[in-house]
This record gives sequence, C-alpha cells and structure tokens, in this order.
Amino acid sequence: MVASDSSSPASPLVVARDLAKTYGSGNAAVHALRGVNLDLPKGELVVLLGASGSGKSTLLNLIGGLDNPTGGSLHYRGWDVSKADEPGLTAYRRDVVGFVFQFYNLIASLTARENIGLITEVSRDPMSPEDALELVDLTNRANHFPAQLSGGEQQRVAIARAIAKRPELLLCDEPTGALDVKTGVLVLEAIQRINREIGTLTVVITHNAILAEMADRVFTMSDGRLELARVNAKPRPVGELAW
Amino acid sequence: MDLLDLKLLRDLKALKSQAFAVALVMACGLAMMIMTRSLIRSLNHARDGYYEKHHFAEVFANLKRAPESAREKLAAIPGVAAVETGIEISVTLDLPELLEPASGLINAVPDRRPTLLNQLYLRRGNLLEGSSRLEVLVSEAFADANALNPGDPIAAILNGRRLELRVAGIVLAPQYVFEARPGSALPDNKTFGIFWMREQELAEAFNLEGAFNTLALSLAPGASEPEVIAEVDRILKPYGGLGAYGRSEHPSNIRVDDEIRVLEGLSFGFPLVFLSVAAFMTHSVMSRQIALQREQIAILKAFGFRNATIAWHYIKFALVIVVVGTGLGTLGGFIFGLRLVDMYHLFFRFPRLEFVPASGAIIGALVASSAAALIGVAGAVRKVVRLSPAQAMRPEPPESFRPALAERMGFSKWLTVSLRMALRNVERKPWQAIFTTVALAMATGILIIPNAFRDGIRHILDFQWDVVQRQTVTVSLVEPGPLRAAHDFSQLPGVVLTEPFRTVPIEMVAGHRSRRLALHGVVKDADLNRVIGGDGKPLLLKQNGLVISEALGETLEVRPGDLVTINVLQGKRRSITVPIGGFSQDFAGIASFMELDALNRLLGEGDRITGAFISVAGGQWEEFLKELKATPQASGVVIKNAMRQSFRKTTAESIGLIQVIYSSFATVVAFGIVYNSARIALSERARELATLRVLGFSQGDVGSVLVGELVVLAAIALPLGLWIGSGMASLLIQSINTETVRLPLILSASNYAYATLVITLATTFSALIACRKLNQLDLVGALKATE
Repeated sequence: MVASDSSSPASPLVVARDLAKTYGSGNAAVHALRGVNLDLPKGELVVLLGASGSGKSTLLNLIGGLDNPTGGSLHYRGWDVSKADEPGLTAYRRDVVGFVFQFYNLIASLTARENIGLITEVSRDPMSPEDALELVDLTNRANHFPAQLSGGEQQRVAIARAIAKRPELLLCDEPTGALDVKTGVLVLEAIQRINREIGTLTVVITHNAILAEMADRVFTMSDGRLELARVNAKPRPVGELAW
Repeated sequence: MDLLDLKLLRDLKALKSQAFAVALVMACGLAMMIMTRSLIRSLNHARDGYYEKHHFAEVFANLKRAPESAREKLAAIPGVAAVETGIEISVTLDLPELLEPASGLINAVPDRRPTLLNQLYLRRGNLLEGSSRLEVLVSEAFADANALNPGDPIAAILNGRRLELRVAGIVLAPQYVFEARPGSALPDNKTFGIFWMREQELAEAFNLEGAFNTLALSLAPGASEPEVIAEVDRILKPYGGLGAYGRSEHPSNIRVDDEIRVLEGLSFGFPLVFLSVAAFMTHSVMSRQIALQREQIAILKAFGFRNATIAWHYIKFALVIVVVGTGLGTLGGFIFGLRLVDMYHLFFRFPRLEFVPASGAIIGALVASSAAALIGVAGAVRKVVRLSPAQAMRPEPPESFRPALAERMGFSKWLTVSLRMALRNVERKPWQAIFTTVALAMATGILIIPNAFRDGIRHILDFQWDVVQRQTVTVSLVEPGPLRAAHDFSQLPGVVLTEPFRTVPIEMVAGHRSRRLALHGVVKDADLNRVIGGDGKPLLLKQNGLVISEALGETLEVRPGDLVTINVLQGKRRSITVPIGGFSQDFAGIASFMELDALNRLLGEGDRITGAFISVAGGQWEEFLKELKATPQASGVVIKNAMRQSFRKTTAESIGLIQVIYSSFATVVAFGIVYNSARIALSERARELATLRVLGFSQGDVGSVLVGELVVLAAIALPLGLWIGSGMASLLIQSINTETVRLPLILSASNYAYATLVITLATTFSALIACRKLNQLDLVGALKATE
C-alpha cells in the first residue's frame, strides 16, 4: 500500500532514477522518456517546461500513477510506484495525488460543490467542499453547474476538487492551456496560493516559459530527457509576471 | 466495394455486440410472430384438411333411441346434405396392466353402408371387415397412453357382459381431435378412450338393432344452421333427443378454435412489444454512433457528399441489424414452433400435424422489423441531415443540467452524489429513461404470464380436488339404477363412505336465454362431493332449491332469487319453474345442482341414481379396484389421483415449455436493453469516468456511477413490470376463459419473486459485462483533448 512515512523530512518526496517509457516496439518504438533522474522535495512549486512531444506529459502520468514505466524506478516516500498494481495505483491516486486537467474535466451533472464532494466522500482526511471553494475564491458559485461557469471558474473548481483531499502531490497538466491570459492568471494565482498555504508539492507542466518565474525549481524537457534549468531563490508572485 | 460501405463494415465490427443485442431483441419479437403465425397455419392446415377429407359433420345430436326410419325424416330437412346415424355407448374396460377399470365411449362402424360423415383415419392395423367379430378399433391417444397395438387383447364390459376383444387397428376421428371424457375439460388418455365396433355387434349387445342414438349432419351450401338445429330437435324430441348443436359447441372443435384464438392474440401483441423495444434500441445506438461521428459527417459534407448519401449510409447500418434479426427470428420461430407442434400432440390428435412455416409471416417480419428499425433510425438520421458542416466541425456544446425533481422537492439531503448524477441524467434524457424503463417493465411483465397460468391451474385443481371432490373415486352406472346400487358399492372392500348422485340432461330457460347442461342431484349434507359457495364454504341445498354456478348465472343473466324453468330432456320430460337458491363456485364453467330427493320428485321415476361418490381407505385400495373391475353395472370410473397425475404431467410439460420460451425472451430483452444502455452510457461518459479513475475512484466505484442510472430505472421498472404483467395475465386469461373453462387469476408471491429474480439477474449480469469495458478506459486520454 501507499505512504508509509519511512523517509526523513529532508529527503525528497518523489525520486525517479533512470526512468524510461517506450511505446511500441521494434522500428515503431517511440522513446517518450530516455532515463530521467529527478528528486522533488516536499512543498515546492515545480515547473516543467517543454515543447509538445517532449515527454513532459508522459513523466507527469508516471508520477501521477496513471501509467507504468518500462525502465528505471520511481519512488514516492520510498514506496515503489513503478511496481505497483492497479489497486495500489488507484489508492495512490486517491490518497496522495491531486490532478488538474487542461480541460477541467468536471462532471457536467454535478454542481461545483458536488464535484468536490464526490472526491471528498472517498478521501481519508478531506477539507470541506466549502473550504476548498474558498481557497479558489468561488464560494458564491458553489451551486452552479459546470455549464453555468466560465472556463476560468471551471478550472478553479477543478483545482479546488484536486486539493480538497489535501494531497501531498498536485499535478497540473497545462492548467491554463485552454484559457485566456486574464483568467489564466487567476488560475495560476490559486495554484501558487495553495502551494504556499498548504505546502503541497506542486508540479505544473506548460510550454509557456514565463511561468518559470513563479517556480521554486524549473526543469526543461526535450526528446525524453530532463534537465534542471534553474532554482529560484525567490519565486515571483504570479501577478508580477510579464505576459 | 464502395468506400463508405467499407466504413460501414468497420463501424459495424466496432459496434458488433451492441448491434447484436438489438438484433436479438428484434429476433425475439419476430420469432414469436413467426412461431405463432406458423402454428396458426399448422393448426388450420391440419384441421381444415382433416375436417374436409374425413367429412367432419356440422350438426351433432345425441338421443335415447330412434328407429332407423327417423333417418329419412332427418335427411328431408331443408339444408341437410348428408345424415350419419350411429350408436355411441359408454363401456368399461379391463386392461391387464391397469389396476383400475378404464372407461370409454364405443361407437358403431356401419356394416352395410359406407360411413358418410366423421370418417375414420387408420393409423395402424386394419379397419373392421364385414366378417370380423369381437374386434375393436382404438383411438390413438388411448392406445399410446396404454401401449396398445393391433392384435392386443382388450376386455370390455358391454351391457353387463364381459367380452374378450382384440384390437384390430389404431384410428383417429375428426370429432375426437381433443379427446376427453364428456364434460371434462382435461384429457385423461390413460383411463378414458374412444373405441369403434361393428354396428351389428354393438347393436346386438345393447338391443339397439335397427335403431340409433347419435346423429351427425352436414349442411348444404347456404343452409341455415339454427333452422336445421331447430328442426332436428323437433324430430328427435319423441326419441329422447338431448338437443342438437353446431360445430361451435362441439367440445373437441371448441378446444382447437380456442387454441388458435389465443395464438392470434399472441401473434400480434408480443411482436409489437418487442419490435417497439428494438426500435428504441436502434435509435439509441444510432444516435450515439452519429454523435461520435459528427466530425466525420462534417468532413464528408464539406467534401460534397449529398445528404441523401450520408443518410442512406446510416440507414444501411440499421438494415444490417434487420437482416440479422430477421434471420435469427426466423430460426428461433421455427425451433420453438417445432417444439410446440410436438407439444400439441399431447392434446390434439390429427392424422398429420406438421409445422407449416408461415412464409407470409417471414415477409411480414422483415417489413415489421424494417419499419421498427427505420422509425428508430429516423430521428438520428434527421440530425445528420440538419447538421451544417461548419457546425459539425465544432465539438458539441457542453451539456447543461439542473437539480433533479427529487432534489427540487427537498429530498436532496438523502441522496448520495452518485445517485444525484443518476437522477439528473435520467431527467435530462426523459425519453431514453422512459423507454428503458418500459422495456424492462415489459420484460418483467412477460415473465408473469406463464406462471399466472400455472398458478391458476393449480388453484383450480386444488380447489376441485381438495375442496369440492373429496371422494377417492366417482363411479357411474351403465344406466339409472335404484338407490340400492349405492349400498352395493358401500360393501366393496375398503369403502368408508358412499354418496349417491343422479345426473340428468336438462335445458335451463330464463326469459329468452336458455342453455343445455347436466343437472346434478346430490345428497343434502354431502361430505364427499360438495357444492361450494363463493365464500369457499359448502352450500346447503334446500328443498326444491336450485344452485347454479356463477358462470351459468352470467350466461343466463340471472341472480339468486330469480326464477328459471328447468325442462328435463329425459324420461317423462317434465318441466318445473324454481327460484335460484344460490351461486356455486365452479371453475369448470356452467353447472347446476339440486338436492337428490327433489330431483327424483321432479323426474317422477322413483328413487334412482346414476352413480356414486366413494371414499376408499388406502390400505384396501387394490382389492377395491379389483372388485370394482368385476362389477358389471359400473360403467365409468374416475379416480381422482390418476386424473391429477396425468394432468400434472401434461400441463407441467406444456407450461414448462412455454415458460422456457417466455423466460428466454424476457431475459434477452432485459439483457439487451441493459447492456446497450450501459454501453451507450459508457461511450457518452467515457471521459467523465476516466476522470474519476484518475482522481482515485476504483473500477468498482466508477462502475457503480456508470450503472447507477440503470439501477434507478430498474428499480422503477420492476414494480411497474409486475403491475403490467398482472394486467397482461388478467387480459389473456379473460380472453381464453370460456363457458367450459374458467381459469381464475392467481398472482402468487412466488410468481412475482421469479420475475424479479430473472430480471435482476439478467440486468446485473449484462451490467457486469458492460462494466468489463471499463478496463479499456483511456486514463491518459482523459487528461487531454475534449471529445
């Protein structure tokens, strides 16, 4: 099972060694990840930059327990994610990981509050849907259905849904990809605030290099290889970024 | 091959299980249609051919005894084409393998002239020669039940004399297609049979030389049956005529007609239900297919394909389902039809009853299923035609929802989140929900019908054999005898109680309505054969008081207290007008009862009886039967348990088969509708479900969200189905209830439990199969582009 706290507080939460993922075989093989090494400490905001097809989504999927690697290892708090079976991965996703999708993926038949409630019902130590909505500044939209919300609002509900279970790991896949700049800023502010207030290790993948300014640590990816680009001693608030 | 057709083939392959589910439901309706139409055709074909070739008569009469000279008067009646007179007598038989005496009717085969009407069909052996003596022909049903073959010996007691006879041949006759003891609704082929002997031998044995006691007539074209019947009655009155009747009252013919009538009802009602469900399923599958192919359609349109071409492409999709459905339906119809034709041999005896496929019905099936599919696909195709290419290129707008009715009414507190999702989905697509519910309800309802029949029959039998007839055996006398005869029976070994009875043929008249039937004279405080009232308690027969069955009351439109006239059709032919003392509960249809002494006073022939009800102690049963067999005055013996067993066997077999057919059809519908609904929901909500999986829901959690909606609908459908099924069973039972058979509507808890269980299992199983597809959900894809 997931999450026995065997590591010391200083050790990284997520550790990847020679992580590889190959789709297909023979001539048709696609090497999405070619030996990635990665240490992600607790509580940081990490931005993963890369062009489309660089392998950043593949990496995120592996960290999020959606897929199994074809080589190398991936550990969360010393637990081997790469060797987990399906029920183990399900429990890992349920208890540890929060996901924010590019297209929000809210359940159309549920209101904002219920979308969050659906997840908190199966979580071990969730905050209330109301508190989660307050964190993203949407208390007044709690009873609206997704079709009654703007894109930015929907994404903030999705963020509230992701963090309501107090995950240790928040994974955001192009969270502003479908939004205009103004609403995108609101969404990123919400992500940054949550990272600071709750201390959730947050990984944002994007192809927008400007976002690098808001991160504690920035990685770049190309052709399945990962490089540490820089470490910001003082990450800048989202509001100060030059768009 | 057209490239669009290639696309069609590949699409079909991808949707094969759903298309197959629709085809199966369609096939059920068509199988029922082809089966029932073919059975109607088979029965009609067998009956009409038989009646015509063997000259089945059109008017029938029984009488005490008339001289041959009366024959000419009958032949002279305007409209009469042919006259056949004969002798028909009750006999008791002694079969070596049978403990109890068997009984039957023995008919005369004319010696010196050919038989004009009701000619025999020889199955095996020989017909009777002019020189043959002590030979009989035996009806096939009796011969089969007792394993009799030509050449076998058979002992009969004719007019008190025991004769050792030999079976010459096994035969059939058009007036005995359905062979049962007179007045009995149930066949009992083991202990009751029909026999034929040379006329001269029979006449000698019964002192009926130069006389006849049964009559059959055929009519000239255009003749009026009622007029002929009235004239026959007038002529036969002095000879003890018991009233002539036409084919519509002929006991064997009625049974065949009833069966055809029931089949006709089924041949329309059932297919209608199944094809409506299939049309709805076609609509769901095609609507989803078209929604998924929006962009493809847009591209085709953008490249200049005409609307008609694209519409035809999707219509062809539905037509492939029709072809498969019709093929399977025809096959199913033939298989079930052949089995049912086999089953009919238990009840109906034709020279040849062959399964005659109704080719018209197959064409009808093709047309009906095409119509159903086209109706189903029409709405979806209309959407295709209306779609503009530019609009189709864009993804469909997000679905809008609102709180469900139950929530708006303030019940939201009690609803879990997944239940709310289910309710809101139901409200968003009300027609889909209604159709799914109705289809499931129909599937449930269909299951109620065969068990309602089974329970109704069981109720009758238990009532008849445990409440009314508490005797072990009923023994009839060869002819009315003195009361002493009952005393003689009480001397037989093991007899505990004896109750005499007398039965006479009468005509009961109330106003302008009249009815010919038997009036039973029974003892006042009967312990064995009792007359039971509507409250289930024995009725006390008052002096001169008459009790009639409810069915007779309805026929004559009379109520207790009303006066009716009884015209005795025997002996001194007296008449009496008496008030109706009460109604009895009698599932065997029309019946009337009077106190034995009162009846004997009415008849004015002294204290006479025609038989006795006897209760026998178990220990001496075999001795009792042995001595009874040797008692010459006993002509007919009905053993309750033998009757019960033989009936259980035949009904169990036939109802069992019908139950298999209905249950398999209901299961297919339930399975098809649930499987398809789940698959369509899975397709429509794949992204939503994948999202839930990503967010940490297990496959089981996601599965319950997927089928939550179906669980809600099934929960509504089950009680609705039980209600619909009760209604259908009630209608069907009413439609087959006749004057002679009254099946009560018995809806037992076990019937409801069976239907609920079958539908629950079918829906659960199909939902589980559909949920297996959840393994294939693309979790990574859910993170990416919209649909």
